[in-house]
Amino acid sequence: MADKADFEPKIVGFLCNWCSYTGADLAGTSRLQYPPNIRIIKVMCSGRVNPQFVLKAFQEGADGVLVSGCHPGDCHYHSGNYHARRKLTLLRDLLDFVGVNPDRFQISWVSASEGLKWADVVTRFTEQVRELGPQEQLSGGEA
Amino acid sequence: MTEYDYAATTEEIRQTARKWLKEGTVRMVIGYTGGTGPMARPIVIFKPEEADQLVWDPTCIDNLSRVLVAEIKVKPPRGQKPDTRPIGVVLKACDTKSVVELIKENIVQRERVKIIGIRSPGSVDPAKLDVALRQVPVKERKNVQVTMKGGQFILDHPGGSVTVPEADLIATKCQVCVTHNPVISEVVVGTDIPEPVQADKFADLEELEAMPPEKRWAFWQDHMARCVRCYACKSACSLCYCEECVFEREKPYRWIEKSVNLKENAFYHLVRAMHLAGRCVDCGECERSCPVAIPLRHLNRYLQKRSKERFKVFPGMNVEAAAMFGSYDVDDPQGEIW
Repeated sequence: MADKADFEPKIVGFLCNWCSYTGADLAGTSRLQYPPNIRIIKVMCSGRVNPQFVLKAFQEGADGVLVSGCHPGDCHYHSGNYHARRKLTLLRDLLDFVGVNPDRFQISWVSASEGLKWADVVTRFTEQVRELGPQEQLSGGEA
Repeated sequence: MTEYDYAATTEEIRQTARKWLKEGTVRMVIGYTGGTGPMARPIVIFKPEEADQLVWDPTCIDNLSRVLVAEIKVKPPRGQKPDTRPIGVVLKACDTKSVVELIKENIVQRERVKIIGIRSPGSVDPAKLDVALRQVPVKERKNVQVTMKGGQFILDHPGGSVTVPEADLIATKCQVCVTHNPVISEVVVGTDIPEPVQADKFADLEELEAMPPEKRWAFWQDHMARCVRCYACKSACSLCYCEECVFEREKPYRWIEKSVNLKENAFYHLVRAMHLAGRCVDCGECERSCPVAIPLRHLNRYLQKRSKERFKVFPGMNVEAAAMFGSYDVDDPQGEIW
């Protein structure tokens, strides 16, 4: 088993097109540094993120999954993030119930102007997942 | 409290079914009939004279709304006009909740179904019945008649009768039931039953919730690894009605591999649980149909509990209520969101 210090978590990020993706873009153009562990998948709205996507990411070996969208009330499609909030907080509960650490799955609201917050969220989340070590429960590895 | 009268209730069901079929106000009636063993089985009848085959006793555990969905999905032969008359269906009180959800989701139209709702004091668990039947001579086991009297189950057979305490035979879902009276129905039959004063406290989940996460994972890992992915749970579920199931589709993307291992099984069970979140009415058919006895109701009930706590949503009680994932509240809790 790899040393904890060598462990680089694989993180999948589902970002909404209108706020968080643009926010991440801003972080990039502002030359903010944040860990490169996150692999970003752009979706049109956080409401598009089916809980199945998150579980599939874990199954395919992601150590952490981050879903990020517009702040409540700011959704480009009026209410997509409210729907996302219901689905994804419940998914977090379900992960907890089967014994998967729910800290591997994070939801955040990052607006297009919050490049700084984005960098902070990714840094925090990467460190959080690094602490937890490799995710082997849902990806079929030895637990 | 008056004693529950199964014979009178059976008679009421037969009379109603006969009347509807004679009038032609329904095209068929879905009900229970005697099975080859002690357990009742589903039957679909089309003629008034067949109504005498219908029965009602504690072994009627099937959720007949599953049969209702199957019948509604049947397309008429080419060139024939569909029979738009309603379908009559015999439903236990708890099973009417499934139909409430089906109506909410527009799978069943309210005017296309006529419900005989039964006030139900509880059904027997077939697995527990198998154990109790050991007290009956082998030859007589096929002919056992189960009734409930004074808080006890009585197994009558030609050679005598055996009394079993309620707790040893009743289905676990019935022990936490708070819906002994039908939620929707055209006709209500059965002896009056007062509802329990206390709401469901989800006491059966406490043991699991109190475990440390590692032990909880060990518990689920053990169960999920045993799963043979026969998909009986999804076939038995009245709310798994999708024409094309996500677990069976190949295009544009295959979500789940056919190989049976922990990785695929865990994905299956978690996605299935999420698909039923806010909809599952805890009819228990998934768990009953499971050949390897995975406690699937725990997953469903946990999400039921959490959706009640978080969003004040409790499925199956009101046709007018909004679907949990189809609605939202601006003030939904969001404690763990950054």
